[in-house]
Amino acid sequence: MNSFSVRSFIPPLTRRCMPLRVTRPYAIQAAGAPTLEIFSHQHKWMQKERAAADTETSRKVDYLRDEIASRLCERLLDINRYFPNVLDLGANACNLARMLTLPSEDSPNAGPRYKRVGKITSVDSSETLLYRDADLLFNKEIEITREVLSTSELLPYEANTFDAVLSSLSLHWINDLPSVLAQVNNILKPDSPFIGVMMGGDSLYELRTSLQLAELDRRGGVSTHTSPLADVRDVGGLLQRAGFSLLTVDVDDIVVEFPDTFSLMKDLQAMGESNAVIAREKGAIRRDVLLAAESIYRELHGNDDGTLPATFRLIYMIGWKHSPDQAKPLERGTGMFSIKDFLEKGQKDTEDK
Amino acid sequence: MPGRTRPIDKFATAVAKCSKEGKAYGQCITADYNNVYKDKCLTEFLKLKECYLAAYKKW
Repeated sequence: MNSFSVRSFIPPLTRRCMPLRVTRPYAIQAAGAPTLEIFSHQHKWMQKERAAADTETSRKVDYLRDEIASRLCERLLDINRYFPNVLDLGANACNLARMLTLPSEDSPNAGPRYKRVGKITSVDSSETLLYRDADLLFNKEIEITREVLSTSELLPYEANTFDAVLSSLSLHWINDLPSVLAQVNNILKPDSPFIGVMMGGDSLYELRTSLQLAELDRRGGVSTHTSPLADVRDVGGLLQRAGFSLLTVDVDDIVVEFPDTFSLMKDLQAMGESNAVIAREKGAIRRDVLLAAESIYRELHGNDDGTLPATFRLIYMIGWKHSPDQAKPLERGTGMFSIKDFLEKGQKDTEDK
Repeated sequence: MPGRTRPIDKFATAVAKCSKEGKAYGQCITADYNNVYKDKCLTEFLKLKECYLAAYKKW
């Protein structure tokens, strides 16, 4: 009797990715306590793969990542310098690379932004999402290399490799942020910037509070539906702990209006940004809770025109790797003119016009 | 997926038809949202759910 095995037709359940490189270029000091594992990497990976498998929907919800990547590019171009070798850490669908091929919003006639960037290496743990736009036109305009990482918490690069490290909207899924930032600091060349942006603080507080109220009323308790996020104060400390100098941290709120909570949740899912907290309640949210949350969201936060606002709070961080010949902040009291006079003068000029 | 309505879309359409009941429930909760306990607004919620179930079946 011939036996026919279907096993070869079943796709593997485990992830396909580069094996971890054997070399360990940098040893990171273990923290005193074992790292708390908050987010499930396997689950996050699966969500991103699933989301990217539906290419059309996945491209439709790129509005947030594109906008933020564009703002991040502006911050990179504020630095008057040429970057031959750039790493895009946690690239999602290579939104940063695509935004670099577009002209700057401030000067639309100045040509694309990538002129000051040589080679960009985009890394992410999700293969499908990373290669989603690999056949689009922008790939020919910019020198881009894609690499799939087996884990987003271990960067397999030699020390002093990159002239800049960028990261757009992926740091908020990392468990051990101090370690990753220390590795970033290590792979940067001396006097090179790390520019990152992550979700933080009060992101999606409307959704968080409505779900909490709905669960309290319907089920008498609260479970985790949104991630714990870093605050602005934490980010400064984190960068400093990782050894960066000349820190800049700033906050930007983007409010997106949705017709109802379901569109918001659907968009988050299509971005691959669904809940991946390990301690979450497994399984779908109950319909009773969803029904209640929709009404509470509308009543508590809704706009007069019937739309529901959703706030995304973005924390931008810039840190420079230390180098002895780096520009240093001037000593206290050496300022030659008052900022107040300068700003007031600028205000007067605009008034005169 | 094309040609297939996701359950959440059906759910959303049905909920949208019950804005009056939804508003009553929302107002009941947000009237004092620092002091919410289980089944605080049970009557309002049951009205909302009844309306939603009827809309869901009709669709």
